Amino acid sequence: MKPTRAQLEEALGALRNPSLRYADIRYTATSDQDVKVRNGEVDHLASTVDRAVGVRVLVGNGWGFAASSDVSEESIRKTAQRALEVAAASNIASTQVVTLSEVQPHVANWSSKYEIDPWSIPMDRKIAHLLEATEPMRGDPRIQQVIGDISSYRQEKVFASTAGSFIEQTTTEMGGGIEAMAIDGDELQRRTYPNPFGGDFQAAGWEFIEKLELPKKALLIRDEALALLSAPKAPAGRFDLIVGSAQLALQVHESCGHPTELDRALGLEISLAGGSFLQPSMLGNFRYGSDLVNIVADATVPGSIGSFAYDDDGVPAQRFHLIERGMFVDYLTGRDTAPLLGRASNGTVRAESAARIPIIRMTNINLEPGTTPLADIIADTKHGIFVETNKSWSIDDLRLNFQFGCEVAWEIENGRLGKMLKNPLYTGSTPEFWRSCDAVGDAASWQVWGLPNCGKGDPMQTMRVAHGAPAARFRNVEMA
Amino acid sequence: MRSQADSFDIIQRALDAANTAEADAVFASTDQNISRFANSNLHQNMSEISAGLTLRVIVDGSMGVASTSSFEPDELARTAELAHEAARHADPLQNFSGLYRGNEPLPNLDTFDRITASIAPADKARALRAMFDQGRGPGVHFAGSYATGGSSVACGNTHGVRRYTTLTSAEATVIAIHENASGYATRLVRRVDDLDILSLGEEATTKATLCADRIEDIEPGPFDVILEPPAIAEVLEWMNMIAFTGSSFEDGSSFMAGRIGERALGANFTLVDDATDASFLPFPFDLEGLPKRRVPIVERGILRTPVVDKAYADRLQLPPTANCWSLGSPEHGSAFHLAIEPGTSSREELIASTKRGIWVTRFNYVNGLLEPKTALMTGTTRDGTFLIRDGQIAGRLPNLRWTQSMIEAFSNVEAMSRERLRVGTWFNMFGGTLAPVMKIRGWQITGKQEAGRVGESASGRAGD
Repeated sequence: MKPTRAQLEEALGALRNPSLRYADIRYTATSDQDVKVRNGEVDHLASTVDRAVGVRVLVGNGWGFAASSDVSEESIRKTAQRALEVAAASNIASTQVVTLSEVQPHVANWSSKYEIDPWSIPMDRKIAHLLEATEPMRGDPRIQQVIGDISSYRQEKVFASTAGSFIEQTTTEMGGGIEAMAIDGDELQRRTYPNPFGGDFQAAGWEFIEKLELPKKALLIRDEALALLSAPKAPAGRFDLIVGSAQLALQVHESCGHPTELDRALGLEISLAGGSFLQPSMLGNFRYGSDLVNIVADATVPGSIGSFAYDDDGVPAQRFHLIERGMFVDYLTGRDTAPLLGRASNGTVRAESAARIPIIRMTNINLEPGTTPLADIIADTKHGIFVETNKSWSIDDLRLNFQFGCEVAWEIENGRLGKMLKNPLYTGSTPEFWRSCDAVGDAASWQVWGLPNCGKGDPMQTMRVAHGAPAARFRNVEMA
Repeated sequence: MRSQADSFDIIQRALDAANTAEADAVFASTDQNISRFANSNLHQNMSEISAGLTLRVIVDGSMGVASTSSFEPDELARTAELAHEAARHADPLQNFSGLYRGNEPLPNLDTFDRITASIAPADKARALRAMFDQGRGPGVHFAGSYATGGSSVACGNTHGVRRYTTLTSAEATVIAIHENASGYATRLVRRVDDLDILSLGEEATTKATLCADRIEDIEPGPFDVILEPPAIAEVLEWMNMIAFTGSSFEDGSSFMAGRIGERALGANFTLVDDATDASFLPFPFDLEGLPKRRVPIVERGILRTPVVDKAYADRLQLPPTANCWSLGSPEHGSAFHLAIEPGTSSREELIASTKRGIWVTRFNYVNGLLEPKTALMTGTTRDGTFLIRDGQIAGRLPNLRWTQSMIEAFSNVEAMSRERLRVGTWFNMFGGTLAPVMKIRGWQITGKQEAGRVGESASGRAGD
């Protein structure tokens, strides 16, 4: 099924247009398996295998992209010709010059690492593991739902380009998590471990699921879900806020990852997801956060779902600062956008599959750890609130005004965690928030969180990204 | 797109591979072209031909599902084995009376337009180029997308049910950007001839240039709002996810759970799921083969039913609503043709009747997970937010954050427009949302986009 190098290069060679400047072909085979148990039953168990081929051409200043789920040799040839026709149409309404940054030809074969193949674990064992983790949470009539998820993902990708590259990459990933939902009258509370929406995800095998120790966490999250039913509402007003690692990872995603995507800043994604307050004129001279805030894009983090060896432009994975000592210093870029800044691509262009056009995507966007243990940050906080685990998220079209809800909060009084609080909502403006950061947790509280559902593009593409984050403190944050 | 004969052949081969008394399959094939533009430049132009098969088997009352994009015999056999493996490990479906056997006649609906299915990318590019050129006069540039496509959708099961239809759609969204302001227009139709790119450009330009020299500001608090259909549509997408699905009804997280027959919303609020309305985005059957029907979800404020697939209609002992859009999906029913019954006013009358309020073009990044039992949501406004004073548009406002219970909101509808607009949703190839302009009292504004506090010029559109 997988096309050979000769087949792909022959299709590229058959592209006949005197104005052809660049072309690439991708093939992907994506396998998904999702297992979900709910209230002691298998609620969802499904497998998907999806194959696609996509051809991208640049003719003059017009891009053309064509894709097909038929990956036969004949279909690849036809798809390539269709891409040329689409590019010809693009030139009718193309009003800007396209410049591509240089790329070296690469021939490579890369696979993410795992110890135990997700598909080698029998279904019975996955189900039994989830039932072991969720059944102890049942019993109290207020616990109306317990859920456990395990998902397996593998994508094989082949890339060939007229730049001379031929790159094969395979990523294998697993994710898992549990949830307890408690209802009492009109009050509904959820607690999840280790994260909501399917849990946490890594480029790994079954060993990652075992490492999560889901069964050991079951009673804790059940008890917290029940306790939240009668907990007081988190107060409104301004507070010193300590944000836990998992929630801060999403804060980084929404308020740093997306606004540093250069295509957004240039207005190329305005119609769907919006733009960015971070404009090119601010590069190098805009204070995004306090001196303690260092945020890197690092596509080389081992075991993370935001990692790869080459992006879908054929550019090698890289590590670079987006925010350095609080200053905005770089964007996420691709070959066709980086030259607008006078720079070369930093290798962040990816597509969900070969059926979709590659666009700028986050890799691993990480807030680097600081030097202060979390316990010391709490001990140093006289009157504040600690929030953890995302429940809701919303941010405006320039990535400025945000509002996040968390599953749980605790008050902090005189350096100690106090009573549990429900329904915490905090809101603010991105640079004001990050400038108020006065303590960043050390490596002990730092963790990489996998987010397999980052949406962008039209048609919508769901990308697998990740964020490393410690806990951190922010002064005088508005709670709603 | 595939013919009926091709589609039924693939379904039959999948059912044969399933080799069990009860199985069903869905085969869908789409040819689509999407042209994306920004800065009045066509920067992404995509053509996709795709096909996919989903096979579901029922073994000893348990369900297993597998999908593939390859239809060779080996691959179908592998898909069937994956589905069987899933079924072997699943629990029996509660109260399940078996796959659909009725095979009733389908509503006769016009879903396909040959011109829309075959429009060339070059024709679309020429239309966009004309709009770009038109924007030069008022100093406007455009961003957005223009998508057209044709699909064939077929489903069938081991009880002899066979369904097939073709459908087309054309959808365009246009954002006009003028200095620091933007405006928005969108259309979703079955026939591309009903979609006029130039007039969408004009509509978006009007919004982008309205009150360009009159900038207003407000402090958070409750306001009367006049919401355009795209704003309503985004809220309804979330309502669908958190309140109308079979699973949210069963697990109790839906505000409808345990309250069927109660008046929970305003007496002037009726919401239906209706794929049979020829003036909406018609589609004749759901993917289990049941004929589509008009399903009142809320009638004059009274809660009537969630939407369910057959498994959950049986499980919850509810009348079937024909809302399976993905075999075996954990939502167990989804409303893909939500329509709010219209009012009797015009947009202009709604504005004129407002002493002090806010006119909202569209929402951005709504989230409905804050407190599902009250349908508490948050989001911001974008692409044209205006202050109304004494029945007149007084000026442009910055983008605003709101945090609002939809149960309260839909209990506080003062009036609605006669005219309704079809609005598309990214996850829904079958339908969309049909909504009027709505005037709602006491909408909670809780913040605003304060680009001026960034420290320097934020972007070309920071004021909007």
